[in-house]
Amino acid sequence: MKNRTYNIKALLIATLLSVIMIVLVFYGSRELQNFDAALITYLFGTVFAFFGIIYRYTVWLQRPPTWIYFKRGICFLFTGKVFSHFWFASKETIENIAFQKFIYPRGKYRWVAHFMIAVGCTSAFLITIPLTFGWIHFTMAPNSISVYEAHFFGFKVMDFELDSIMAFLTFHALNWSSYLVIFGSVYYLRRRLTNPGLIATQSFEGDLLPLILLIAISVTGLGLTYSYQFMKGFAFDFLAVLHAVTVIMFLIWIPFGKFFHIIQRPAQIGAHIYNKEGRRKGMAVCPHTGEEFATKLHIDDLKLVTKQLGFDFSMEDGGSHLDLSPEGKRSRLAQAHLRARQAGGNLFG
Amino acid sequence: MNYTSFNKNEEFFVDMQRCIGCKACELACAECETNGQESMIHVNYVDRAATVQTTVQVCMHCDDPVCANVCPADAISKDEFGIVHTANTERCIGCSNCVMACPFGVPKKEENYDLMMKCTMCYDRTSVGKKPMCATVCPSGALFYGTRDEIQEMRPNSTPVNSFIFGKEVVNTKVNIMMPKGSTELVIY
Amino acid sequence: MAKLPVSEEHIVAQFGPHKNYSPKEGYEGRDEPDELVKTHCCFCGMQCGIQLSVKENKVVGFEPWMEFPFNEGRLCPKGVQRYLQNNHPDRLMSPLKSVPGQGFVPTSWDEALTKTVSEIKRIQEKYGNDAFSMLSGVSLTNEKSYLVGKFARVALKTKNLDYNGRLCMVSAGAGNKKAFGLDRGSNNYSDLEYAEVIIVAGANISETFPTLTHWIWKARDRGAKIIVIDPRMIPLARTADIHLDVRPGTDSALYGAILKYLVDHDMLDHDFIDNHTSGFQETIDAVKDYTLEWAEEVTGIKKEKIQQTAELWGKAKTSFLLHARGIEHHSKGVDNVLGCINLVLATGRIGKPYCGYATITGQGNGQGGREHGHKCDQLPGNRDIENPEHRKYISEVWGIDEKDLPGKGLSAYEIIEAIHRGEIKGLLSICFNPLVSLPNSNYVREALEKLEYYVCIDFFLNETARHADIVLAGSLQEEEEGTTTSAEGRVIRIRQAVTPPGNAHTDTAILLELARRLGVKDKFTYENSEAIFNELRVASKGGTADYYGITYQRIEDEMGVFWPCPTIGHPGTPRLWEDRKFKTPDGKAHFNPAPYKLPGEVTCVDYPVILTTGRVVSQYLSGTQTRRIGKLVDQFPEPLLEIHPKLAQQYGIKQRELIRVSTRRGEGIFPANIVETIREDTVFIPYHWSGKKSANQLTPGTLDPISKIPEFKVCACHLEPLKEIAPPSSESTAYASI
Repeated sequence: MKNRTYNIKALLIATLLSVIMIVLVFYGSRELQNFDAALITYLFGTVFAFFGIIYRYTVWLQRPPTWIYFKRGICFLFTGKVFSHFWFASKETIENIAFQKFIYPRGKYRWVAHFMIAVGCTSAFLITIPLTFGWIHFTMAPNSISVYEAHFFGFKVMDFELDSIMAFLTFHALNWSSYLVIFGSVYYLRRRLTNPGLIATQSFEGDLLPLILLIAISVTGLGLTYSYQFMKGFAFDFLAVLHAVTVIMFLIWIPFGKFFHIIQRPAQIGAHIYNKEGRRKGMAVCPHTGEEFATKLHIDDLKLVTKQLGFDFSMEDGGSHLDLSPEGKRSRLAQAHLRARQAGGNLFG
Repeated sequence: MNYTSFNKNEEFFVDMQRCIGCKACELACAECETNGQESMIHVNYVDRAATVQTTVQVCMHCDDPVCANVCPADAISKDEFGIVHTANTERCIGCSNCVMACPFGVPKKEENYDLMMKCTMCYDRTSVGKKPMCATVCPSGALFYGTRDEIQEMRPNSTPVNSFIFGKEVVNTKVNIMMPKGSTELVIY
Repeated sequence: MAKLPVSEEHIVAQFGPHKNYSPKEGYEGRDEPDELVKTHCCFCGMQCGIQLSVKENKVVGFEPWMEFPFNEGRLCPKGVQRYLQNNHPDRLMSPLKSVPGQGFVPTSWDEALTKTVSEIKRIQEKYGNDAFSMLSGVSLTNEKSYLVGKFARVALKTKNLDYNGRLCMVSAGAGNKKAFGLDRGSNNYSDLEYAEVIIVAGANISETFPTLTHWIWKARDRGAKIIVIDPRMIPLARTADIHLDVRPGTDSALYGAILKYLVDHDMLDHDFIDNHTSGFQETIDAVKDYTLEWAEEVTGIKKEKIQQTAELWGKAKTSFLLHARGIEHHSKGVDNVLGCINLVLATGRIGKPYCGYATITGQGNGQGGREHGHKCDQLPGNRDIENPEHRKYISEVWGIDEKDLPGKGLSAYEIIEAIHRGEIKGLLSICFNPLVSLPNSNYVREALEKLEYYVCIDFFLNETARHADIVLAGSLQEEEEGTTTSAEGRVIRIRQAVTPPGNAHTDTAILLELARRLGVKDKFTYENSEAIFNELRVASKGGTADYYGITYQRIEDEMGVFWPCPTIGHPGTPRLWEDRKFKTPDGKAHFNPAPYKLPGEVTCVDYPVILTTGRVVSQYLSGTQTRRIGKLVDQFPEPLLEIHPKLAQQYGIKQRELIRVSTRRGEGIFPANIVETIREDTVFIPYHWSGKKSANQLTPGTLDPISKIPEFKVCACHLEPLKEIAPPSSESTAYASI
């Protein structure tokens, strides 16, 4: 029942935003003047992915535990020392979103590989999406045969010589991204195929397929380049179709599979802000151990959230089981067990 | 989750009054492949100033896991065998909701990974029909993994209980705690 | 020389102890080992079965061994982490020589051994053969224990050989020999299962023999009553039916009072006493005044609890009495043991199913290692070095003239005393870290510094080895084939999982090479460990510890064989005395009077508090191995002074406040852990650490007159709070032992 309201809201918001997006494509490509018709399938894929992401994100956001983080995060960001909050959020964004520093302690190579995939994917998105939408296009500069101009949203942003380093880097940007993604994904694929802990807990569609897709996209993408550059267009059409299929699968997959974490990750910063603000307001002290263990805000919010979710840990005397630290909870359980065992007349048997 | 040689006849039985606090389980847990060198089981003194009583806590694998419900990132899932899995590494945002909401005090926040990790009942072992590491090494029988018949034979005066009352909440779990014969629930408050 | 070549800090920086941790996802190859080697844990007398995972000649992990009958896969934290002693950065990879100003520098085997042999010869020519001594240890296999005994007598030709079993169970050994004429736990532990009453005296089973807990709990599941005798509420005592919180040093008064109660209430097995024992009358005469009231006064235990204990023990149909170092580490350790045995004999509950008595041996091969002759008064097969027949038999086995076989030498602590007096000038040690494990460590250090030549065989540079002139890089338990005998008397196989790394050699190879260079090669040619074992079998034949019928093949086929096993067809003897044929000269079990005596040191105005020592679950003995394993160190990073809140209040001591503890021998500073789980008149410090954190700076060198065991378990101390709270335990560097 509740899920249904979540869904309806999410559908409405996603539809609305997707329509806005299509409008932006229309005007961003100067009424389709700059739109590359060859990319039409990609456009549909992207718009669908956009719709899916918004839908999924909205559903997700409405869940009580998520909503409370979202609400608190936004509130904190815009109250009190707004400047210092933004500074903190920016710093966190660079550390956690741009550099994913939390992965480093889990493993140096894991971090390097993930960073490669992240940089590769991000740069590829930044190039392909505006291209698909017709927001970026290149033209020969007027009165020149060697100077290229790049336009964004129909406005000229830069120009460069055809055989300059800039040109080389720009035209091959997707290839560089592909290499990064391939190296990173192969590392993870190898890890997933050899680490017994991962083998036991992973699933094909949830963990292996995304990596295979990434590799497939990158390899077919590279194949396109090499096909026309070195092999006179050998198998170009086949590769083009294969590339389109993998990319579209990837796009559709984003909202529902592993790649949703890209969209979700900024919530981590919300959690950090929440924790920071909570600390400022005061810590909860465990009645069993007598030690601080979490922010008071966190414990109070959890009491609300658990109630909303249908759990009631409150006790007759007005206290709550959630007032205890994890260690306190374990100890109280053991003490209750000891009492029950003693009442039963035998600790063993 | 591709392996299906999980032995459905075997269950986990805990009896913390047998625990001697040696922490063999804790060190053995770190030898389990699912969690690297981090240990997911908890052994702690209940009140060291007054007694040497220790308690041992594995994940109880709740029927309706509070941890998964309070997770803002949908990072915790339960599988067809009733195993509640550790946080999905790419989703977990390290908020600690699960750590603070779990009525048994089980999930652990690994601060430097900014990640929650928890006991998966040694999924790398149980999913191929082996016993979890902690219950294999436990020298006191505080942790036991086997069939109901086995435990019944060994401890005829105890009953496995998997219903726990925390104030107004009743939590039912996959893992059992051994109680005096005939008990049906453990009332914490 | 025997002084440190450079500062301790310097040595520690190079040779550790450093904490070793497994890499984050385990050692390379852990999940796909070349081989799983079925062997045993090296960290206590239980000798739990374990499989070591081996990859490319490295131990990379373990897998429980579910089929081994004693532990069925169960392990303690030490067992779980034991694999980390292999692959350790502190591992000695080549012989070292001590160079003043430079420290320990690698040297060649030839130089190290040439120097050693020439020093042995120089000292023995100048001061006599017995001026060169040898100290050994019972973490060695049976083969190596036997070899050391023969090496010292035949190659070194010295009488002064003793071993660290002297700090372990010698009081029990002496008591068992007096009472039964044989030194072994009388039963295997499966006899615990249906015992009605179990007494555990001075044995912190859940911390020192954790895997034995299973068998005790099993008995409790069947309704057994358990009585724990210990000044502290140890984990076993928390759930015990009766906890007798005995004042340290008064155990024999307790056993005496219980015996008197049994006699007064006629809870005796007269048939057994009359037909199978001797000495009953003198024994009960010795306790005739030991009323419950008197016992309460002496032991500090409520008389009702003593009475309850006597009632339970007296009326039980089956029972098991276990004891360990808690009653043995006393100047009257043998009396305490005899007091226990008297209770067993009075009720006749021995040599029957679920009726048992045993000391729990602490060290890895504490049982087998104490039988085959690296003890100062002993020859293989637990023979007596002063018995002419025994001497003759062994001399024949060894192919030497009986006149050349040295006689009884000094015991471990007496050897240190003789070094201190200047009578002994040279020392060869193996598998022994006396600077940590002997009492009065300041005195031990002084002695070591007086040695003219000290050579040590070890795999890590332990604290004592820092004083050596030459250190010979030997082997870990998993680097050599052999056998050990578990605390139950089960002879089992230790398998070589890997070969010694680098330029390290096996202990056996080192001893054989030294023997060759000492000119007795013909007496020391063995093809392999099995050949040594086969000679041991012959040497033990006809002795009380008779291994003749045990072969490597049988051990393998039968998952261990219990000695005595005199012939190949003999099934072995899991339970002793079913035939009532005791090994004493008169064939009877002997009662021995065990009257109460004061401990060697009692409290006084200057030293008003009783100090007792013991162990923690994550450490093993002197810590040479376990203080190098990261997670075991982290589990208990530093020794804490356990003190009752009432005593703490008297001194105004706060939790974790630093306390200077002093005795007549030394002082140390320890953080206070205020707990109600200890007697109000007693404080406790665990002993695994060295240097400033060593509990053995405080303990006395008072020895039991018969067993020569030092009195670790009771002395008088003075407490001085330093008004300073200790930094968190996690910051402690006590493991490094500076």
